[in-house]
Amino acid sequence: MEKIYRVETYKCIACGKCELACGFAHSKDGKAGVSRIKIKKIGIEKGMPVVCYQCVEALCVKSCPVGALVRNEETGAVDLLEEKCIKCRMCVASCPFGNIQWDENFIEIAKCDLCKGDPQCVPFCPTKALSYY
Amino acid sequence: MVEIIVDGKKIKATKGNYLLKELKKNGIKIPALCDHSSVEPWGGCRLCLVKITKEEWKGWGKIVASCLYPVEEGLIVYTKDSEVEEARKEVIDLMLARSPQTPLIVELAKEYGIEKTSYEEYKEPTDCILCGLCTRICEGLGMNAISLMDRGIGREVAPPFNLEPPDCIGCLSCAYICPTNFIKFEENDKKRKIWGKEFEKLTCKNCGKGTVTKMEAEYFSKKQGIDPSVFELCDKCKREVYSKKFEELQKGRQ
Repeated sequence: MEKIYRVETYKCIACGKCELACGFAHSKDGKAGVSRIKIKKIGIEKGMPVVCYQCVEALCVKSCPVGALVRNEETGAVDLLEEKCIKCRMCVASCPFGNIQWDENFIEIAKCDLCKGDPQCVPFCPTKALSYY
Repeated sequence: MVEIIVDGKKIKATKGNYLLKELKKNGIKIPALCDHSSVEPWGGCRLCLVKITKEEWKGWGKIVASCLYPVEEGLIVYTKDSEVEEARKEVIDLMLARSPQTPLIVELAKEYGIEKTSYEEYKEPTDCILCGLCTRICEGLGMNAISLMDRGIGREVAPPFNLEPPDCIGCLSCAYICPTNFIKFEENDKKRKIWGKEFEKLTCKNCGKGTVTKMEAEYFSKKQGIDPSVFELCDKCKREVYSKKFEELQKGRQ
């Protein structure tokens, strides 16, 4: 069965461990990538994590002119096929929630792919605000 | 599905699919510079050469560009044959004569044991290897703003009449797809410049950060059927808006 990536926002203490884990999970040559999950601080030890919702009717998929964004049937995530991507950045501009970013250092699109079915941010969350089951 | 033999190993491949695609799927490394998953194969660089034969051909074989050869039943493919290597070397030798300073070509030549080209070097070396990826992706997206022009030694990638291309929307796909980074562009928060044409960028209503060019947003939103209102904010400001919305929702719950 398809698993669910769950974010319980009220549990977030804005420690930033998920951001670090995400950056290093998407690292290249020892350099960390852009974190796909972002925490907005909303108070003392309170945060609001925002991450890709893997929309059913995804605008990023619709906007891609070469079909480089496809749904992964196994994980349920919208995956970016890097070998197809032409880096026009239409997905970055068209995501209504701003959850796709442009990685200046690696010159690539940064999009949450649920780490191919094993999200690295989940085990690092100390308050279990992030879960995958 | 049919069975083909590649370098003595049996692999399963889809009939009718191009050979290079199937070989790559099976993890067999073949050099190819004009190949990209988002454009149609073209057979421009001639680096993906392989030798093919069949049992009923009785020892006769031929060298083909694998990117344009469809898979057939009973195909026997050699990718590291001495004949193939020799043919590839010749192609690389010629490329090195054209682009003796291009890192990608120099590296490739070294891999095949070529230090210096045996041909006469170009007087004005260029990074463009005429792979046609830029023109084909431009055509594939529906713009056709640039094309290969002239013949022989004068062949080059250029917009019509070497003037500002009227059809270019400034999506930079040609620049990013270029394997040798030959196509240059300039970019800042407000403007983008490529092929001598300047483009105004859409800017975020909130913070003023530039996203895509106005023409790009217009063209793709029309073509792919997207509501243009999503281009109003940049990704960071969109996240702010939504985190605020979630915050309000959370307050209601507590």
